[in-house]
Amino acid sequence: MSQWEPKIVAFLCNWCSYGAADLAGVSRLQYPVNIRVIRVPCSGRINPKFILAAFRHGADGVWVSGCHPGDCHYIEGNYYARRKFALLKSLLEHTGIDPRRLHFSWISSAEASKFAQVAREVVETVRDAGPARHFIKTLPQWDSVWGESTAEIQAEVV
Amino acid sequence: MHAYTEKIREAARRLLAEKKVDGVIGFRRGTLPLMNEPVFVRHADQVDQLVWDGNCGVNLANYLTKRKDRVAVVAKGCDSRNIVVHIQENQIARDQLYILGIPCKGMLNRRAILKALDGREPLQVEETEADVTVSGDGFEQVFPRKDVLQDNCKICIHRNPVIYDELLGDPVEEQKDVDRYEDVRRIEAMTVEERWTYFEELIAPCIRCYACRNACPQCYCPTCFVDESRPQWVGKSLDPTDTRTFHFLRAYHMAGRCTDCGACERACPMDIKVRQFTKKLEKDVKELFGYEVGVMLEERPPLDTYRPDDPQDFIR
Amino acid sequence: MLKIFVTKDNLPNLVGRLMDGATVLGPVKEGEAHRFRPLKKAADLDLSYQNSRLSPKDLVHPHSDAMFAFSLKKDDPEAGILKELPRSADKRLVLGIRPCDAKAFRLVDVNFLTDTYRDPWWEARREATVLVGLGCSRPCRSCFCTAVGTGPFDETALDVLMTELEDGYLLKAVTEKGEALLRDAPQAEAATDERMQKAEGIAEEAARKISKPFVTEPIKDKPQTELFSAEFWEEVQFACINCGTCTYLCPTCWCFDIQDEVHGEEGVRLRLWDSCMFPLFTLHGSGHNPRNQKLQRVRQRFMHKFKYYVDKYGDGPACVGCGRCVQYCPVNIDIRRVVAMMSASCVCPT
Repeated sequence: MSQWEPKIVAFLCNWCSYGAADLAGVSRLQYPVNIRVIRVPCSGRINPKFILAAFRHGADGVWVSGCHPGDCHYIEGNYYARRKFALLKSLLEHTGIDPRRLHFSWISSAEASKFAQVAREVVETVRDAGPARHFIKTLPQWDSVWGESTAEIQAEVV
Repeated sequence: MHAYTEKIREAARRLLAEKKVDGVIGFRRGTLPLMNEPVFVRHADQVDQLVWDGNCGVNLANYLTKRKDRVAVVAKGCDSRNIVVHIQENQIARDQLYILGIPCKGMLNRRAILKALDGREPLQVEETEADVTVSGDGFEQVFPRKDVLQDNCKICIHRNPVIYDELLGDPVEEQKDVDRYEDVRRIEAMTVEERWTYFEELIAPCIRCYACRNACPQCYCPTCFVDESRPQWVGKSLDPTDTRTFHFLRAYHMAGRCTDCGACERACPMDIKVRQFTKKLEKDVKELFGYEVGVMLEERPPLDTYRPDDPQDFIR
Repeated sequence: MLKIFVTKDNLPNLVGRLMDGATVLGPVKEGEAHRFRPLKKAADLDLSYQNSRLSPKDLVHPHSDAMFAFSLKKDDPEAGILKELPRSADKRLVLGIRPCDAKAFRLVDVNFLTDTYRDPWWEARREATVLVGLGCSRPCRSCFCTAVGTGPFDETALDVLMTELEDGYLLKAVTEKGEALLRDAPQAEAATDERMQKAEGIAEEAARKISKPFVTEPIKDKPQTELFSAEFWEEVQFACINCGTCTYLCPTCWCFDIQDEVHGEEGVRLRLWDSCMFPLFTLHGSGHNPRNQKLQRVRQRFMHKFKYYVDKYGDGPACVGCGRCVQYCPVNIDIRRVVAMMSASCVCPT
């Protein structure tokens, strides 16, 4: 597995964390290349479905970042988001997703060095957790054994 | 318990005669032992269909969304809490409802009784405060009532309706010493891999019929996420990842809205304990936000509000 | 036709022999309920069951059936072309199926195997499957097979009918396939007259126990429109929560949905169970939904089984009286009661 590099989907809010990523870039700060950024208008825009979709597509980790509380461009979007995230993270862990795979942060558009720092931490934590094994969607297999559902055949393969 | 039957009929007759409501939602005697059927009574001459016993577990709040008329509804503790959530979520207006509150001592778990009978068919059921006597061809078995209650009733802490226009009996004593989260903690104590396996086994029998979703009074989205196709968030086959995604998101949609009425488990044709997902959320909502679902009409649901000092230890 | 007797002690040997020649499926206890599963060993078979929770229809019409695969790779010259996935034609034997559930396959045949189209997925599985039925000597109270044209020992849709006697099983071949199966059964004993008489007695006794809660003949004679617009639907539909349990458990509900699932640059076309209880089932591309109301969907289920099917195919009704929907409907909508109302529907002159 020496070739394996973690794939991390980062949902960054347009007004703060995405700006921080931008600033980190123009400031030539180094951070790992394992992050794929998806820009969202606000951390409040993150539907839990997005995070699950990332895992289902095989992401090894997901990182969500928005404005600091009180600094939301939409005044309170991140406050609502914070409650959703708390429950989502807890339920994912409760049902067997490694806590090292899901990360949240508040990073303002001026905090380029925090962005680079958190990016490094996120990547290293996910690297420790290893390649994702759960919640990955694959195409249904041909039902080769009659009477046994596809699900069971896959369950045996796993 | 059966004393309620007369009181329900009396109230229904009166409300219909006074034209206070267009109809009364209650239960009528089922066609099988241990089953009753929800019924909508519109005329005084149908009032005598209404009954009450330990087989009225169906959550009648299910029949209230998108109504235009004014109805009376018979409500146990859990039903009343779901009614509160419906009002908070603008599914029905308070003045459309006349709530006939029923202090409840728990509903019978038909599946558990059938399991205990081990293939013997129940023909007659008699209930008293303490016992349930089930008899059939050549057998009679007495169950202590508390042993054959629905799982959620065993740990219920809101047996008395939280909202009503008329209470049809004296309030019952609430259960004080119940541990609502014993099973949640047991799962929490497992390793993360064990938890994954636990839930994998839990949902393995799922046939994706969505009965749990459809039975839930709180599930009323015009288009459910499982039916969305652009993009398709979850596949519809029996693929374990899809089944997991469905159960996970269904439960998550219940965060801060589920009253643990048990409708989902009652409906599941495969006996899956789907409350294991929602109970964790209930526990978290209580611990993180100090909120109990459907108790205070004036409060906003927990995900519809926030406090500046909400917990955020998990955020960097 | 050949009849043999096998003692209970010798049954595992017979099952073992059958397992040599084909995949044998039978009722296996999983949790509280029984389900038809491929037997890994003869001892997994549990013939003491009353009936399986899920009907065995998924053996021929699985919940999720991958029919085609396709590629979306840009440089693939065959991109976007549906390629049929292979269909196995291995012999399968279903052991211990109830006569009612076997009859259900017959009823569904008319939908999948018509003069103009023969569904290859249904046909291949159907033809490769031998049905060894187990007569129902302990019918449930919610069974009503005799009211819908079948019965606890109905052999019409079976290849072999088994009857449980005190000390063993009487196996009676019904078709050539069944006869071939019994011909070299190990440790078979003669089906003596005494045993045959006993079996007949058991069958009669079982049929007597089954209630006949309605008669279907009057429904046949009524115009569709009269039943369609009958007032009782309003009352019938109230309790329904459109959960779909009835249709998922039903042995004769065949409705399906076809979905494409795409993952990266590959995709499959799936056939999946669907249900007339769901609004999405009838939603048109235009946005119009002819069965938008719960009443329309509830009515459809009963009308389809007891009126449309009967009118269209001159057979039926499309119900075998297994009673699963009666037992598992969470709100106790009882098909026996509904059909009795259809049969008697008060709008007709008496």
